[in-house]
Amino acid sequence: MSDAPDRWSLAQRRLHWWSAALVVLTGVLAVLMVWLPFSEMLAKFLAYQLHKTFGLLVFSVVLARLALRALRPAPALEGLSPGVLRLAGIGQAGMYALLLAVPVLGWLAAQAAAGPVPTTIFLVIPVPHVLDPNPALYAWLRPVHQVAAYTLLGLAALHAALAVKHHRQGVPVFRRMGW
Amino acid sequence: MRRAHLRRMGFYRRALLPVLLAPAIARAQQTTWLLNQDNAQIGFSARHLGLFSSHGRFTRFEARLELDATRTTDALVEGRIQTAAVTLPFPGAEDTLRSPTYFDSARFPEARFSGRAVGITDAGAFTINGRMRIRDIEQPFAMTARLAERRRESQGDVARFTASGQVQRSAFGMVADRTFTADAISISVEVQLLV
Repeated sequence: MSDAPDRWSLAQRRLHWWSAALVVLTGVLAVLMVWLPFSEMLAKFLAYQLHKTFGLLVFSVVLARLALRALRPAPALEGLSPGVLRLAGIGQAGMYALLLAVPVLGWLAAQAAAGPVPTTIFLVIPVPHVLDPNPALYAWLRPVHQVAAYTLLGLAALHAALAVKHHRQGVPVFRRMGW
Repeated sequence: MRRAHLRRMGFYRRALLPVLLAPAIARAQQTTWLLNQDNAQIGFSARHLGLFSSHGRFTRFEARLELDATRTTDALVEGRIQTAAVTLPFPGAEDTLRSPTYFDSARFPEARFSGRAVGITDAGAFTINGRMRIRDIEQPFAMTARLAERRRESQGDVARFTASGQVQRSAFGMVADRTFTADAISISVEVQLLV
């Protein structure tokens, strides 16, 4: 009999769903902040600040998830072939990498922009900038941030779709990671 | 009779000539410079929510500066700025500044200013008092200018002057976005003159 637990810990499950909600919210805010015209400058500024706030929260939550994952073995998962488990592992590693990289790329892009705007958490806690405005760097960072974010959203959607599929096949994925 | 008249005229000429010529002599060292975006910069900045400032520039303007570089208290300046030629490094910001809410560049393509130096401060700066006209509204406008640097280059001595002042945008009818953008707009000018 395996020593592995049969589901993720409460903290791991909560942090998983928190990061999922924050990623969706950050994506919605990204669309909103770009769509808003400059004439709606207060709303646009707030959308940018909330986008950055939630993005940096995603980064923090994912760091906590990785720390918990290192401390506690993953729960057992019956009913999936080794090949599917390997692919799932690769997909999850990719998502973890993107969950860390996308906020960092966005943070750097915000600093490199020609018109520098401070980064704050909920307009209260200032986040230091380490780069000076650099339009050439910004022209590289912004599309990379954007493509990485779309890739993350795509992987997350695939991850969710496969979880539903496996759930329908009787694999207890939602019991392992349910809220 | 005619001789007496000529004598009187001669007296007046001799007596009045120095008086008439005095301003010209005093202004003899004054030089007129034509300024534009090639030898000067006009910038502006605004505070937002008390958190940060945005900085923009006007990229087309012309001005006439009369100045004795050794006696800056006689300076006289007049200028015109193309309000549509405004840059601010945020996407969409320039269109907003040209819109009827701000400069209304379609109706008021030019902003004008004129001023004259009125004295020197203890710190060596000189004050320029004048008028600023934006959106067809004229308001008093004051700037504090100073000779920031004088250096020798291959083509001669170059004097760099800086000036700064502040306007209340609401005084020119620009009242939008007051929650986000402060009413006070800082104006900065930098001029390089070959003296």
